Amino acid sequence: MWVFFFVTLSPLHPFTPSLPQRLTTDGSFKQHLQWSPDGKTLLFTRIHQGKMALWTMPAAGGEMTRLLPEHKEPHFDGHFSPDGKRVVYVYDQLQGTDGKLRINVCNADGTDDKTLVPHQAFEESPRWSPDGKRVLWVSTRNGSPDLFAVGADGKDEKRLTTDPAADLHPAWSPDGKQIAFTSGRTGRQKVHVMKADGTGVKKLTDGEFLDAWPAWRPGGKQIAFVSNRAGNYDLWLTDADGAGAVNLTRHPGQDTSPAWSPDGKTLAFVSTRHGGSDVYVLTME
Amino acid sequence: MLLIGDRAAPLHRRAVLQAGAATALGLSWADLLRARASGPTTARARSVILLWLWGGPSQLDTFDPKPDAPLEFRGPFGTIPTRVPGVRFTELFPQLARLTDALALVRTLVTPSNDHGIAGTVGLTGSGAGGTGLDGKPLPGSPRPALGSVVAKALKASRDRDLHPFFVVGGKLHQGKKTIVGEGAGPLGAGWDPFRMEYDPATGTKIPALQLPKDLTPERLADRQALLAALARADARAADLKLDEHRSRALAMLTSPTAAAAFDLSREKPATADRYGRTRFGQSCLLARRLVEAGVPFVQVNWSDHVEAEEDSGDGGWDHHYRNFQLLQDRHGPWLDQSFAALVTDLRDRGLLDTTLVVAVGEFGREPKVNDKAGREHWPGCYCALLAGGGVKGGRVVGTSDAKAARPADTPLTPADLNATVLQQVGLTSEQVTGLGLTPAGRVVSELL
Repeated sequence: MWVFFFVTLSPLHPFTPSLPQRLTTDGSFKQHLQWSPDGKTLLFTRIHQGKMALWTMPAAGGEMTRLLPEHKEPHFDGHFSPDGKRVVYVYDQLQGTDGKLRINVCNADGTDDKTLVPHQAFEESPRWSPDGKRVLWVSTRNGSPDLFAVGADGKDEKRLTTDPAADLHPAWSPDGKQIAFTSGRTGRQKVHVMKADGTGVKKLTDGEFLDAWPAWRPGGKQIAFVSNRAGNYDLWLTDADGAGAVNLTRHPGQDTSPAWSPDGKTLAFVSTRHGGSDVYVLTME
Repeated sequence: MLLIGDRAAPLHRRAVLQAGAATALGLSWADLLRARASGPTTARARSVILLWLWGGPSQLDTFDPKPDAPLEFRGPFGTIPTRVPGVRFTELFPQLARLTDALALVRTLVTPSNDHGIAGTVGLTGSGAGGTGLDGKPLPGSPRPALGSVVAKALKASRDRDLHPFFVVGGKLHQGKKTIVGEGAGPLGAGWDPFRMEYDPATGTKIPALQLPKDLTPERLADRQALLAALARADARAADLKLDEHRSRALAMLTSPTAAAAFDLSREKPATADRYGRTRFGQSCLLARRLVEAGVPFVQVNWSDHVEAEEDSGDGGWDHHYRNFQLLQDRHGPWLDQSFAALVTDLRDRGLLDTTLVVAVGEFGREPKVNDKAGREHWPGCYCALLAGGGVKGGRVVGTSDAKAARPADTPLTPADLNATVLQQVGLTSEQVTGLGLTPAGRVVSELL
């Protein structure tokens, strides 16, 4: 059954709305969607039969396959390297009621799995830079969640943010010169941008709402993000300077995990609009 | 013929005799009946649904936010107004915020232990007696009966005999690999233990007491001939099998059209099932509503069987020592908001809310100071319960916590108080039951009523 899709057209965002196309129907929990650089594969976190793990699926829909079936412990939030050959992700080594998070890296077929950032604290949200030379991630090794970057070889670690509020959900701009992220430094979680070296932080979104999980559109002119400003989680689209935010999904279900196709024409997301948690795609002409 | 309490429901003598003799505490069924018959006729709730939020939800990140506390205490979430002036929830609960005219909130629960095992026993029975913590040593005393067992025994007489009076929807509660004390009937006898059902989003409803053939889910139980044939085949393969009590009870229920219909989630409109959310907790709440609708006095829905967020089949518990905020934002917050709101709304739409008391609570809260893993540790000193229906007044907020939600600033309340309130609302006052030695002391939280 199709759900009618409404969008507020803005002169700043001329596009033809489409109906979201549902790619999965199993309803198991999913998040952290990512496209492979060749646009053929979707990578995501899925909880299936009690295990949180990385899964892949053809971008047009089809059979879901575990990327690392030998892993017994939770692992999640994968991100392809720009050449599509490697994946960084979070590995959660369980210890009683606690977990030791670290950043791992493996080949895109799951082989050659190893640790990139050893556990020190909460280590999460690894994101490969567009040139493939560095990996951005979130760590609480200094107390609160801050953004860090490390070389793809695991060396040359640098702290990018120092605010005591939580800085989360990093996303590189397509040219690698900027980073969008979520921060609570002004009291509410808002989308911010800064230069890749951590300077020049600017708040991009405003208002008494939760704005999170920015996803930079290829081309660099727009950013999709998740917001509850309409009462529940929807996908919103804003210009890269924060102007002209529009609600892309406007649905009472929870719409999260925006991920752009490499050509920027399709936005994949996870929605509970049919009860379970499933992957949908929205064509953005 | 005996009459119970204010409902004047008939109770046959044979049922009384069958109900069993004295308990280990010296309390007989007849004592219970006398207690009800002599008590005040204030019963409002015909049924109770306990949403057991295993693992310990954070009070600050849910229903007692402290936006003016220092950053390392208040967490990252903003707050939103509710329909009660001056009362705010965190922004993760917009649907519940809109329902506060039907909800009552307790913000000053305290419990004596920060060990899941002990606090779980206290929460479910009102007492830590017999509870076992991480050290494996049981506390002095015999375990008290679960609240559900007490309610079930008190209310069973007036109900459909086809359905057991106490259901738990969800797996057995664990701390680590050990089950905790407190989900059973204890001194009331095994006959009042809960009948357990489980829901898995991938496979549907399961009845652990019966190992049904894979193709025979409870959704297909209306096909009695198929059920009986399948069971006959199973028994033929194990001709010497002696059915234990639970399996016998399960068989009796499953061959009852009334019970089979109550278990059958496929009878719900898809839109209704969607509203609850297709998560394990959401569909378990829907199953709870169906059971209550069929006359079951007490249904406990376990959010998870393990406290940990990542270590069980699906939703994971509320024990967020790390990733607390991400888990709340991505999963636990929206899911609880959706499912609890759907349950209350559905009960109200069906005219069942006035007679169904819904309680959502965990075993303790979480430490106000955020740790260095973006999580919060255990905190028994102050936590919340959210209630609806069954005579509880909507819009009430009981208790004020201090500036960091670390301690009650006034009106400290215990799980025993909460349980006493439930017992009163189903027609048994906590004082009467306490006087009979069945449960520990607790005061009825009259501010909720």
